[in-house]
Amino acid sequence: MMKILVCIKQVLDPDCPVRIHSSGKWIEPDSHGLYRMNRFDEFALEEALRLREAFPGTWVDALSVGPERAARTIRRALDLGADEGIHILLDDERYRMPWETASRIAAYAGNKRYDLILAGVMAEDDMQGQVGPMVAEIMGYSSATAVMSEKLIPDDNRIYVERELEGGHREAFTLTLPALLSVQSGINRPRYPTLSHVLRARSQKLITITAKTWNPPAPRDHIVCLVEPAPVKSSVFLSGSPLEKAEKLVKILRENAWL
Amino acid sequence: MVMMRCRDHEIVVVAELLEGRILPVTHEVIAFALALRGGDSRFIRMIVPGRDIQGMANELADVIGIDVIALEGDHLDPYNAEAWKMALSVLLAEWKPRYVCIPHTSRGCDFAPGLAAGIEASCITAIEGVCNREGLITFTRSIFNGKVMMQVASDADMTVLTVLPGVFKAEEKFSTFPDHKEGRVEVVRVPEVLQKTRVLGMIRAEERDLDLSIADVIVSAGRGIGHEENLALIRQLAGLFLKSAVGCSRTVCDRGWLGYKHQIGLTGKTVSPKLYIACGISGAIQHVAGMSGSKYVVAVNKDPGAAIFQVADVGIVEDLTIFIPLVIDLSRTDPHSPA
Repeated sequence: MMKILVCIKQVLDPDCPVRIHSSGKWIEPDSHGLYRMNRFDEFALEEALRLREAFPGTWVDALSVGPERAARTIRRALDLGADEGIHILLDDERYRMPWETASRIAAYAGNKRYDLILAGVMAEDDMQGQVGPMVAEIMGYSSATAVMSEKLIPDDNRIYVERELEGGHREAFTLTLPALLSVQSGINRPRYPTLSHVLRARSQKLITITAKTWNPPAPRDHIVCLVEPAPVKSSVFLSGSPLEKAEKLVKILRENAWL
Repeated sequence: MVMMRCRDHEIVVVAELLEGRILPVTHEVIAFALALRGGDSRFIRMIVPGRDIQGMANELADVIGIDVIALEGDHLDPYNAEAWKMALSVLLAEWKPRYVCIPHTSRGCDFAPGLAAGIEASCITAIEGVCNREGLITFTRSIFNGKVMMQVASDADMTVLTVLPGVFKAEEKFSTFPDHKEGRVEVVRVPEVLQKTRVLGMIRAEERDLDLSIADVIVSAGRGIGHEENLALIRQLAGLFLKSAVGCSRTVCDRGWLGYKHQIGLTGKTVSPKLYIACGISGAIQHVAGMSGSKYVVAVNKDPGAAIFQVADVGIVEDLTIFIPLVIDLSRTDPHSPA
């Protein structure tokens, strides 16, 4: 029976207003709860669920490292069809660098004998793209990032992957299992929760691992501060009603002879 | 194994190759390394991993004037993350440079974090800037689609850095260094070891639509257009201009609203039209990298905090389903007739 671990992260929706916390070290927690699953991880979870459909008997765990609020995103993974939810609970809202998160995931997954670990290519909030390949390195798994297509080769203990290069080109590999893949967006169309999964998930408990279980990993880097970006161009914001703005824009377009 | 032991090589640049050629992004990373070291090339050395690359290494050392290691191994070309990490980590563990600079390309992102994890280095990705804050070197990178910048400092002896393409300008002539001399070249052979990764080769992208590269005006759609039906507005707006084309951000392709041949950005196409109209585009660096060469940028987004406004000449904070129809209507009326 194949065991798959999907690493998911709860993020603040980047389309929401984002304010820098007074400490300057991360952003203000959002009181309206506009947190959701990182979109790239939705693709990873969907890929795991499709593998389970193709290879019945496959077991899918969904794991997240995060503060208490992250439990909601793990529950979402159960709603979507994950078999088990694992919460590595952080005590506070402090940001953790990728190495710290990867170390925690590897500490949990180290003796669980996962055949395949899937992650999103990056998180929408910190945009690091490091946790996946770092987990692979710590655990000695083979790995590929930006995966656009994957196919298990039955009875061969290998997986065929295509990863995305610039300009839409791809390169193909086979990896010996166990392996970690970080999947690129667009690899599939993530599904919506089904009622049967939602009902099952309602009564299901999460496996919660408290921070005290292991010594915290020693950070290798830290955030000095967050700052507002400086505008590259001095842009002019058009003012007025929608119609007035449209008139101003059309005038600019005509003055430049584009229209 | 390594003859040329250089304590003073504080910075190592790993070259990016495709089918036996050094990619231009490598020169940008050299420019970054120079910025990091106050323009002094003596502290920088380059590693070129591949097969039969001594000639190329010689040429590089001549032109750029920095020392080059030709890391030779049959299994290093084509690119293979496992083989690259293994070969590089042996060298780096021995040299212990302060910084290892890698292009923030698909392949760079593929091996840099694992390499760092394995050599107990810090890893900082997608770097857009470097600054010295009272002796503390910090690296700047975008978060939240470019709405906020994060400054990161390393706490480790070695730091692996991935440098965002298109930010640091490659030098036209590296021979302008005050101390220009030919760099030295050393060949280091790496024995092939049994691997878990097998390379099967490249799969070329389907022919790209030429429209985007020759268009004078590009109207581009992002997630903010909300619904697939609103693409009609984008097409109508594009239709107002001569030699125009429709582009989009990655999310629009991922949702199947437009084909990937329309995608503009780091993993898509790089464009530089005379006019770029960004509709509902957040302005993540992944997209901006593909359009920052545009001569004039108009951005329409209802989120006033969207990062796209940082690169726009004209910004309009408006719901595009209301705003674009108004523009279409107005542009069809005769400008000289009394309203």
